[in-house]
Amino acid sequence: MYQSTTKSFRRALCVAAGLLPIAFSSAYAAENLGGDPSALSLRLSPAQYRQTIADIFGTNIVIDGRFEPEVREQGLLAIGARWANVSDTGMDRYDELARGIAAQVVSPKNRGTLISCKPKSETGADDACARAFISGYGRLLYRRTLSEQEVATRVKLAADATATTKDFYIGLSSVLSDMLISPNFLFRYRTVETDPTKPNEKRLDSYSKAAALSYFLWNSTPDDQLIKASEKGELQTAEGLRRQVDRMISSPAMESGIRAFFADMLHFSDFQTVAKDTTFFPRYTTKINDLAQEQTLRTIVDHVRANKDYRDLITTRSTYLTRSLAALYGVPLADTTDNGEPDRFISYTYPEGDPRAGILAQVSFIALNSHSARTSPTLRGKALRENLLCQTVPPPPGNVDFSAVENTSNQVLKTGRDRLLAHSASPACAGCHKITDPIGLALENFDAAGGFRTSENGAQIDTSGVLNSVKFKGVSDLLPLIRNDPALVSCVSRKIYAFGTGKMPPRASERGSEEWAAIEKKFGQDGYKVLNLMRQIALSDMFYAVSPVEVAAAK
Amino acid sequence: MDFRTTGFRVRAGLLAAAVVLPASGAMAAQTYGYVVSSLSTATWNDYNANCPQNINGHGLDVRRRDLIAIGLTPAEADKIVKGGDEESVPKDIAGRLIMRAMVNGKPASYYSAPEAVPNPPMIETVVGPQAFGFDLGGKATDSKFTDPDTGAKVDNQLWRAVGCSENFRFIPPSLPFTEEISWAVTIDTAPAWMLSITGEDLAKDGPVTVTFERATQHLERDANGNIMTHATYMIDPKGRSHNVLKGEIKNGFLTIATTDKFYLQSEMPFFPEIELNKAQLRFQVMPDGKLFGYWGGYTDWKRYAYMLTSRPGSGADVLGLYHALKRFADAAPDPKTGQNTQISMTFRMEAVPAFHMTLDSKVMASPAADASAVSAMMRKTPEARPKGGEEPPRLKTN
Amino acid sequence: METSILARRQVLRGMLAGSAVSVGLPILDCVLNENGNAFAATGKAIPERFATWFWGCGLGEGNWVPKAAGADYELPEQLSALKPFQKRMLLFSGSNIMLDGANNNTHTTGAMGITQGDVNKQFKASIDTIIGDHIGRGTRFRSIEVGCAGDPGATWSVREGQGRQPAEISPIKLYTRIFGPEYVDPNAGEFKPDPQVMVRHSVLSGVKDERDALNAKLGAADRAKLDNYFTSLRSLEQKLEIQLQKPDPLEACTKPAAMEGVDKGALTLATEAMARAGLFAQLLAHTLACGQTRVVNLALTQGISPLRREGESTNHHAYTHEEAIDPVLGYQVKVKWFHDQYMQALHDYLVTMDSIKEGDKSMLDRMLVFAFTDHGAPRLHSVRNYPLMFFGTANGRLKTGMHVPRPGDTTVRIGFTAQQAMGLPVSAWGEGSNRVTSPISEVLA
Repeated sequence: MYQSTTKSFRRALCVAAGLLPIAFSSAYAAENLGGDPSALSLRLSPAQYRQTIADIFGTNIVIDGRFEPEVREQGLLAIGARWANVSDTGMDRYDELARGIAAQVVSPKNRGTLISCKPKSETGADDACARAFISGYGRLLYRRTLSEQEVATRVKLAADATATTKDFYIGLSSVLSDMLISPNFLFRYRTVETDPTKPNEKRLDSYSKAAALSYFLWNSTPDDQLIKASEKGELQTAEGLRRQVDRMISSPAMESGIRAFFADMLHFSDFQTVAKDTTFFPRYTTKINDLAQEQTLRTIVDHVRANKDYRDLITTRSTYLTRSLAALYGVPLADTTDNGEPDRFISYTYPEGDPRAGILAQVSFIALNSHSARTSPTLRGKALRENLLCQTVPPPPGNVDFSAVENTSNQVLKTGRDRLLAHSASPACAGCHKITDPIGLALENFDAAGGFRTSENGAQIDTSGVLNSVKFKGVSDLLPLIRNDPALVSCVSRKIYAFGTGKMPPRASERGSEEWAAIEKKFGQDGYKVLNLMRQIALSDMFYAVSPVEVAAAK
Repeated sequence: MDFRTTGFRVRAGLLAAAVVLPASGAMAAQTYGYVVSSLSTATWNDYNANCPQNINGHGLDVRRRDLIAIGLTPAEADKIVKGGDEESVPKDIAGRLIMRAMVNGKPASYYSAPEAVPNPPMIETVVGPQAFGFDLGGKATDSKFTDPDTGAKVDNQLWRAVGCSENFRFIPPSLPFTEEISWAVTIDTAPAWMLSITGEDLAKDGPVTVTFERATQHLERDANGNIMTHATYMIDPKGRSHNVLKGEIKNGFLTIATTDKFYLQSEMPFFPEIELNKAQLRFQVMPDGKLFGYWGGYTDWKRYAYMLTSRPGSGADVLGLYHALKRFADAAPDPKTGQNTQISMTFRMEAVPAFHMTLDSKVMASPAADASAVSAMMRKTPEARPKGGEEPPRLKTN
Repeated sequence: METSILARRQVLRGMLAGSAVSVGLPILDCVLNENGNAFAATGKAIPERFATWFWGCGLGEGNWVPKAAGADYELPEQLSALKPFQKRMLLFSGSNIMLDGANNNTHTTGAMGITQGDVNKQFKASIDTIIGDHIGRGTRFRSIEVGCAGDPGATWSVREGQGRQPAEISPIKLYTRIFGPEYVDPNAGEFKPDPQVMVRHSVLSGVKDERDALNAKLGAADRAKLDNYFTSLRSLEQKLEIQLQKPDPLEACTKPAAMEGVDKGALTLATEAMARAGLFAQLLAHTLACGQTRVVNLALTQGISPLRREGESTNHHAYTHEEAIDPVLGYQVKVKWFHDQYMQALHDYLVTMDSIKEGDKSMLDRMLVFAFTDHGAPRLHSVRNYPLMFFGTANGRLKTGMHVPRPGDTTVRIGFTAQQAMGLPVSAWGEGSNRVTSPISEVLA
């Protein structure tokens, strides 16, 4: 019946069957990017930028503006950060952000607390005060002590600016905004030095180690203690490194690192283009996009900080809900807040056997991987395969005439399964469908906004299927299968490593693969505790290893 | 002047209330929870049949009549009503308009002493045959209406008094003007009312219990500005609005036969409290899962009139309404004067599915899983509407 | 003088599909030279302008192609919204993007071919930046990108090696960016350089001084990244330099009245996106007329159009896959509804550009608007038989009013023709089978 089962033809069939947008993301697919994959500098993500500014200048500094889109590579923005650059328009945006921040820092309201010295005159230059300001904040922004030349240049620029404007603080704000658009701030560079214990070898210098650590664990800039430790060389000793890593892991700032990693892994950046049709989903109010991410991140942070088994996130009955999220899910939530108080998150436990347990049943997965008014089993199956199991779903189809599979009778296919089956009868299609559909169809009890349903267009929804040769009746049977899939833990550990380094860990037989194998093994022996894994990675040699390119550049 | 806020009334899709799992901890049998999403005096605006004279007019007509009543000539009144010539308006006109009552020989505000206004206006009242309501046992058969839904002869003298007034000329889902303003503004702050229906099987006829409560929280709105379905409301433990009513499902209606007193406490300007004596209620479920129904009974007419007169600017002849309500009051005569103190009336109610919980986290009621669970009280036809058209003809202001 | 775009309330509700807007006074003939192509007093040419207008998911099926070639062809029903502009349009049909064995990464590969001449390498310079480098130097913004359905990644504009330029999705934010406090009215009598801008310009030397130290420690790949960074920094510096010079007067320039409020982010209703497109069109027209940029790129939707008809759960893109072709009509009926909306939006955009009068002609007459899409036949997601259009004459260098069939030709030749029409001294463009060395000469005047 079909003349061809070539690769592209098979892909075409898959698209006909509703394997819809694969490269569907506001982040760029980095495939065939112009950049060179050996680049190692990482552009700060919007979240890192915000957290860094908040940590340095305080949370009352408003960061108002849009960031240049991020690049997603191998499933992570953290890897795409190696490709991310600054476009013309992006430079404008960074410049706007920088000026907004700098103006607030020197504003009469904030200067008393944020600027440690007072100028002799507010209308004239004061090099000593400017120097203190530039070298103090420069050290935090560039994550290292500034060179004398870097400081001196800016002291002079501040004085010149003050001379032009007759305003000392405009002088300061202009050099601060200049530092905020500097590549030394916007990008994280790694500096390599000669290892004094092994003069023929190179190693990462202390500042670079500190920055790698703090963006990995805190998603932010090194704090004063960490910079001091690196200045004293403590990070170059096993004992000193362990002390800092333990301090950081037990710090409250750890939460922002956990959040940043999981938000990246679960593609929460895609929420910026999520809008649901309120005719069909009136309970999906405008705040749900934010609440849904927050629900999942709270669930995860709680779980991870309590040192629970990562795999249990797939089946956990514990979560947090607000009143409006509870209404969206259709579950009762005891909120004893006084009338008129704002919505708040309340801990909630699903009853035993409830199919809505686990993070995959949450709006942040279910609604994110749906269209605005209807579900997409394919998108859901693909997201689970790629984002949580690190498996690859074949790319979208080639340019093939769909008329071969076109169903001209125009029949009404009631459920998502009907629609998919109508197309997947052909053996040529089965290859694609086996990958995404069993999972996606099992999640069809969740509508496009996250609500629970048992029928669609009046027809009962069939959520049964087979995964890895095991039959399941519905999502409640499927989740334990996913929980116990070895790919789940191997995927999260690889992505956590990549979140910290911008690179996936080495595959077997590549340099460093033995150390990685040991880390993965320990992860399992420990009972898949994410914090322990992060600690191990932060203490490993491979986390700080320098590449041959860096060695060459250092010579 | 037309301030109807129909923007809030976008109809929710049928999917909205479709499915929910049975919640754990629900009470025995079946208890389905709702929260009152709309409440108002029940209107039946078959305008041509109801008010053939069409003389009550609206805001400016009323103002013109009031100006003449305090002694201005029709020409002077017209000039003021027309506006634009502020110089010609006597400075004390506002005071004179209000201080029309005479108490102990001195001018007094007609808001506080409506009884004491000489020659109060007589407004047109309803003569049409139909209105929503219940047979409350009222004796005068010639004053009964026929209920458009049930065909029964019913008592609703309040509608007779107010139904030709501008501020009641609205057809659901719009509420009477004064009530709409009050409702729309205060539901975002005032505690909500909840009700639950308990029965062995609401897909079949049989006895049921309807329980009313007040919530500790206000109504939650959805993305369209309508009332959110499936939200959870906590039951106010103070219990002043706790009503347990016995009723039955039969012939497609859930009805509550006479109950002595039905009381709900609130914090809303138009609905500070609901008090109905000899109350009867009936409910149906609409296909979208919404509960819909009427509450009837006798209420204190002065309290109702106060709710009207305390909201000036409604465009209605509030003084005329006061005296019409007094005239048609049909129950509980004052032993001394013989004047009836209560009037038969009907509220129209809508409620959407909701969870009810106690403060100690017990689930007392959950939304029905789907329409079939309450099929015995499912309404098969759209809500009854008067044939006279939705937009009644208006008087033209000179 | 200020021109009101829309009342704030209307902006917030986003319900009005903007069409014509009255903008300023026409330039009096006496201000122009005899040929009408330059201002008499300054002798400066009226600036060249280039615009791209993108919509997702193609057009068709094939029945949008007129039966006759050349002038006086009958416009098919699918394009009827463009009837008022038929005489000022060049309609290209039949051309293909050559895949040379590459995978058709749907919604990406074809549009990459059209805009970059290359189906393999993402983030090569796109046609608008190539043209912008030629005509757009010396303006405050090298280009402006907008996305009407709310995806900042919707644009196809790429500066070599930098990634796609982020699109503005909020008309209010775009207004502030262009006509906010930094805007200098080109027609203001007096000009005083802003000391704050002077300061900003001079402190950039602080960052520039860091370049050598950074370069010294980086590998080749990171050095290339850094070079790109400094190219962007140079653009910022140039932008500030321009702000420090007195701008040439532009008589057709009026500043739109302030817009405030908050826009919705992502949109899914076609009607809302069309309304936003109307606002953007007006802002872009003012931006061009006021010399703030010479290149504007509008993406009506992203390639995978998420737009829906009110009350329907299936979006445009899903319909292109799922709807059967009506055997009588020969196209997908529900999909065509979207085409009709998009073509109407294109019409409205052209009306807006046309409403700006410069001498005896309109801004539209002098500029070149290149309308393109990511696919040919939508159901097939094909990269064949692309519906592409030019509007305007590129300052008299293009003939208009023709249907130009190019069956079997590479679509890249159309972009190449656009470059030559815009006066670029280029002799070849494209890679592999998409490489072209000659334009479609019949349309060049």
